[in-house]
Amino acid sequence: MSTHDHGHDHGTHDDHESNHTAITSTDALPSYYEIMEIAVRELLIERQLITAGEIRRQIEVLDSRNPALGAKIVARAWLDSEFRARLLANGRAACEDEGITFYDDTQLIVVENTDTVHNLLVCTLCSCYPRPVLGLPPDWYKLKPYRARAVKEPRALLAEFGTVIPDDVEIRVSDSTAVVRYLVLPKRPAGTDDFDEEQLAALVTRDAMIGVVPVTVPSAGDQP
Amino acid sequence: MNQSELLLKHLPNDIGGLASDGFQRVDHPLEPWEKRCHALADVLDYHKLINTEEKRRGVEALGGEMIGKLSYYQRWIAAFAHILFEKAILTPDELARKMAEVEARFQPSEEP
Repeated sequence: MSTHDHGHDHGTHDDHESNHTAITSTDALPSYYEIMEIAVRELLIERQLITAGEIRRQIEVLDSRNPALGAKIVARAWLDSEFRARLLANGRAACEDEGITFYDDTQLIVVENTDTVHNLLVCTLCSCYPRPVLGLPPDWYKLKPYRARAVKEPRALLAEFGTVIPDDVEIRVSDSTAVVRYLVLPKRPAGTDDFDEEQLAALVTRDAMIGVVPVTVPSAGDQP
Repeated sequence: MNQSELLLKHLPNDIGGLASDGFQRVDHPLEPWEKRCHALADVLDYHKLINTEEKRRGVEALGGEMIGKLSYYQRWIAAFAHILFEKAILTPDELARKMAEVEARFQPSEEP
């Protein structure tokens, strides 16, 4: 973050105000909550309940996870019907077979978009998300408007992403929990019959795997 | 349903289906301390000191007013502190002393 007094009120857009003003210090001084984070971590390390190495390694794990992992899984499923069947039967096992480790105690249910069903993911209670395959969720996923509306008026919400789902297509909203996470297997776009796995994966975005947008092929004019 | 009944039936985290105004596609890269806080959460879960559901309930236990005033990771670290107190892993005094020690590290040193 380049501006230091910004950022500490993100995450409260879901509520009516975010008027805490603790963060007005200079760059050198950490905020009250940052000091708390350092203090809790150091106390737990002193008690030998956790280690500094574990924190460092977990930061590396977090940094290593991004939507490209999920995109590869999706592309693979489009090309390999046997893999697709395994993925839909047990998402976690199929991803683990592809070398994606699950560092949390979560199951993964992969839900498939078809001509008649469109899937949308949410976590109404908090921010549960398929982190092992997508990385960390965007802020909007964690904020009230998305969480409140996804289960009540998904069509209107999707329209705000520019995604208009025809009335004859069913929308299924999956609400994630601490132990059960979901991933959308989007529809393979038309005109990609000649694409290999890498080319297909490059089309698959994070938002498509949350279900808020379809996977599209850039028009000829967009291509380099 | 009166106001208290509504509050009883919808704890602060339970917002699915509630009326909500404008949606904006906001995001920001995590600050270093936020990423450390996330890593801490995962390590706490890994050791079963605080699991994910305990964390979620810990945030809920902060109450609607605090949830409204704190950012996402501020809620997490506040919840961790409370849960660790409840589990008698840390005491409030210990945390206060350690926070004072940490804060002192960041104060400009006073050269003679």
